Amino acid sequence: MILAQATNPIIRWEYLRDEWDKVRTALIQHIELTLLAVALGLVVASVLAAIALRYRWTANPITTFTAFVYTIPSVALFGLLVPYTGVSRTTAVIPLVGYTLLILVTSILTGFRSVPPAVRDAAEGMGLSPARRVFTVELPLAVPYIITGIRVATVTTVGLVTVAAIVGEGGLGRLILDGLRRTFWTPMTVGASLSIILALVLDLSLWGLGRALTPWTRRGGPQRAATR
Amino acid sequence: MTRLSTTPTGTPTGTLTGPPAGTPAGTAAIRLIEVTKRFPGTGADAVGRGGGLRLDVAKGSIVALLGPSGCGKTTTLRMINRMIEPTSGRIEIEGRDVTRSPVAELRRGIGYVIQQVGLFPHHTVARNIAAVPSALGWDKDRIATRVRELADLVGLEPSLLDRYPDELSGGQQQRVGVARALAADPPVLLMDEPFGAVDPVVRGRLQDELLGLQSRVQKTIVLVTHDLDEAIKLADRIALLNVGGVLEQYASPDDLLRAPANEFVERFVGGDRSIRRLTLATVADLPFAQGPVVAVETATADDARSAMAAHRSDWFGLTADGVFLGWVPGAALDGAGSLADLPRTVPAAQVAATSTLRAAMEIIMTSDTSVAVVDDGGRFGGVVTLERIRAALAGA
Amino acid sequence: MILVAAAQAVRRDIGLWEWLFDAGTWTGRNGILATAGDTVRLCAAVIATSALIAVPLGAFLAHIRRGELAATWVVNVGRAIPTFALAGLLVPISLRWGYGFEPWPVFVALTLLSVPPIFLTTFTAVSQVDPVVVDAARGMGLEDRRVLLRVELALALSVILTGVRVAAVQAVATEPIRAFLGGGGLGGYLRDGLGQNNDTLVLGGAILVAALAALTGAAFGVFERVIVPKGVRRLRRAGDRGSSHNGEDHERASVQVSEAADPVGSLQLADGGLR
Repeated sequence: MILAQATNPIIRWEYLRDEWDKVRTALIQHIELTLLAVALGLVVASVLAAIALRYRWTANPITTFTAFVYTIPSVALFGLLVPYTGVSRTTAVIPLVGYTLLILVTSILTGFRSVPPAVRDAAEGMGLSPARRVFTVELPLAVPYIITGIRVATVTTVGLVTVAAIVGEGGLGRLILDGLRRTFWTPMTVGASLSIILALVLDLSLWGLGRALTPWTRRGGPQRAATR
Repeated sequence: MTRLSTTPTGTPTGTLTGPPAGTPAGTAAIRLIEVTKRFPGTGADAVGRGGGLRLDVAKGSIVALLGPSGCGKTTTLRMINRMIEPTSGRIEIEGRDVTRSPVAELRRGIGYVIQQVGLFPHHTVARNIAAVPSALGWDKDRIATRVRELADLVGLEPSLLDRYPDELSGGQQQRVGVARALAADPPVLLMDEPFGAVDPVVRGRLQDELLGLQSRVQKTIVLVTHDLDEAIKLADRIALLNVGGVLEQYASPDDLLRAPANEFVERFVGGDRSIRRLTLATVADLPFAQGPVVAVETATADDARSAMAAHRSDWFGLTADGVFLGWVPGAALDGAGSLADLPRTVPAAQVAATSTLRAAMEIIMTSDTSVAVVDDGGRFGGVVTLERIRAALAGA
Repeated sequence: MILVAAAQAVRRDIGLWEWLFDAGTWTGRNGILATAGDTVRLCAAVIATSALIAVPLGAFLAHIRRGELAATWVVNVGRAIPTFALAGLLVPISLRWGYGFEPWPVFVALTLLSVPPIFLTTFTAVSQVDPVVVDAARGMGLEDRRVLLRVELALALSVILTGVRVAAVQAVATEPIRAFLGGGGLGGYLRDGLGQNNDTLVLGGAILVAALAALTGAAFGVFERVIVPKGVRRLRRAGDRGSSHNGEDHERASVQVSEAADPVGSLQLADGGLR
C-alpha cells in the first residue's frame, strides 16, 4: 500500500507537461459546452419569461415546469436520455439547457417585476413607446437580477458538464473518470481542480460584468444638498 | 393681489359648468364632455355618475381636482392622457379629441407628474430630464441647453445634474420630476398629488415655486389634490368632486369658500371657511386706518391722550422719523418724562403689508394693542383692524 | 485494489417493466432496497452533519447581526464549487490519508453542498425573528413574551425545515455521483447500465433516483406539515406573498442574501455544482 502511494501521488507534475494537450482540450471542451448551454438557456428562458410577463396566467405553469425539470436528478436525466439520443452531445446539451431554465426564467421575471411601479407609470405617462420602455427603462433595471441568474446558471452548468462525462461527453469530467479508471490520481486532481477554478473564475468575471453594467448601484446614498 | 371675489355676497358666482365668466368658449384648453368611467366588475361609475362629467379648463390656468377618496379625481386626471380610457364621453385638448392621436404621441405633448415621481434610477438627473426630448430625437446640444434651462427654472443646482436620483432628497427629486415633465415644453401639465410625498415645510416651498413657475411659463395645469388648503393656494379654479366623480362645484377658491353650492361642499370646506378666505388676500389690499399713533418728535403727552381717546384705545403708538417704534400703554403717561423715554411693548404688534389677512388676524388675536402695518424699512403705514378685515370679506 | 463495487450482472434483454417488477431485483444484497438504503444512509448522515454545522452558525451570525457579508460568501462559495469535481478531488486525498475511497470524498462534497441552503434559511429565519422578539420582550410582560417567543420560534423552525428539505432533496439527487467514483448507492444502476450498454438498467436507475428524490421531498413536506402548527404556516405564506419579488427588499447591502431568501431563491442554492 505504501509503495502504491509513493508512485501514485495526488498530483504528478510531469503529467501536466506531458499530457498538456489532453488537459487543454478537456478544458476547452468544458468551457464550450458550458457557454453553449448557458447561451441556449438564456435564449429559451427569455422567450419563456417574455410569455410569462405578457400573459400573466402563464407565469405559474412556466415556473412550475422549469422547477420540475430542475428537480430531476441530473444523473438520472442524462441516463433517461441515453436510450433515445444515444451517447452524444445532444444527450448532454438538452439536460444542461433544461437545468438553467428555472434559475434564468426566475431571474428575468424577478428582474422585471422589481421595476418600481412609479417608474413604470412615469415611463408610460410621458409617452415612451412600449419598446423604448422595455429596452431603455425596464431591462437595464432588471439586469442586476438577470446577471445574478446567469452567474448561478453558469456555475451550475460547469458542475453539470463535469457529470456529463458519464454519458461520454468530453470536458474535465472525462479527466476525472479516466483517472479513476486508470487508478492514476493526477488526472483526477487536475480535472477536479480545474473545474472548481473554472467555476470560480466564471463567477467572478460575471460578477464584474454585472458591476460594470450597473453604475447607478455603485454610488453612495442620498447626499442632501446644503439647501433644501 | 387679492383673490377675494369683489362681488357682494348674495350673488354666487361659482358655476357648475362652462368657462369662467369673461372667457369665450374657444379658449378652453381641456374639455371633458360627458365623460364617464366604469371599471369592469364594479357596480357603479367611478367617474361621471348621473350623466357624465363636464368640465372645461381654461388655457393657462391651474385647475385643482379636489375631493374625498373615491371621488375619481385621479381617474379623471389619468383619462386626460389616456392612461385610463373613458367608458363614454369625449375629452378634447385644444379642440382635438385625445383619441385621435396615437397614444404615445399624445402623451409626449403632455407633462405628467406623479406623487412618487418615478425617476429612472439608472439614469442621471440630467438624463432623466432629457427623457422625452431624447425620444423625440433632439440633438445633443439642444438637449443639454434645455436641461440646463429647466434646472434653473425649477431651482435645481447644476451640480446635481450628474447625480443619480437616489442621491437626492425628496424635494429635489420632485423638482426633477417637474423639470422632466416640462422638458419638451408641453402646453398641458397633469399633476397627481405632486407634493404629497414631502414634508410640510418642503411642500410649502414647492407650492410657492410652482406658482412662480406658472407666472413665467403659463401652462394649463390640472392638479389632483386631497388637500383643501393646497387647492386654495394654487388653483385658479377648483373642481370639487363627490364620490362617483360627480362635480359638486366648479369655482374660484374664494367663491367656493364664500358661497358653497350645496351641503356637501359646505361640509367639505368646513366650518372655518371664512378664516380660510383670509389667506386669499394680503394686508396691502385693505384700506388702513390711522390709529392712535403719534410722532415722538412733535407730540406731547396730551396729544397722546387725545389720540387714545379718539380711537378708544388704552394704548398709543410712537414713530420716530416715520419709523414705527412700538406701542405704549396709556397708564405709562402718568409718570413724568418725555414720550421718547416711555417703555414700549416688545415685540411690537405689527405686520408687513405683504402678509396675508390670515397672518394679520393671528396677530390681532394675540395682541392687546392695535396692529401696525410696517414696510421693509420699518416705516409706519397705518393700522389694520378687525373691522376692516371683516369688511373685505363681505366684499364691500 | 478493488475500486469499483461488484457490478450487477443483468441480462441485457430484459425489459424495463419486468426488471422493475421482478422480486429478485428488489431484494437481496444487491437489490434495489439495499442499494436505496445505502443511499439514504449516506444522505441522512450528510444532512445531519450539515445541519449541525449550518444551524448554529446561521443562528449565531444572525443573532449578532454581523453575518451578512459572511453569509453571502458562504452562499457564493458553496454555490460555485462543483460537487462532482470536489468529490473527485478528494478521492486521492482520502486514499492518501488512509480513509479509503468511499464514502468520505462524496460525504464531504455533499455536506459542503448541503450547508448553504440550511445556513441561509437559518440565517434568514433567525434574523427575521430576532428584532421582533427583542422589541416585544422590551415592551411586554413576561407572559406575553413567552407566547410570542414560541410563535416566533415555530415560525423560524418552519423556515429552517424548508431549508433542510431543499438540502435533503438536493443531496439525494446528487448522491448518484458516488457510484461513478467507485462507491455504492442507487447511482450504481446508471453506472452499470452505461457501462454495459443496457438501456433497462439506465432507465431503471434513472427512474429510481428521481423517485427517491421526489419521495424525500414529499416525506419532508409531510413532516413539516405535521410538526409545524397550521396557524404558523398561514402566517408564513402571508409573509412570503407579501415580500416575494418586492423590489424594496433588495437593498444594496444585502442583495445576495435576500435574493436567495425568496421562496424560489432557496432553490437557487440547490446546485453548488453537480445539480
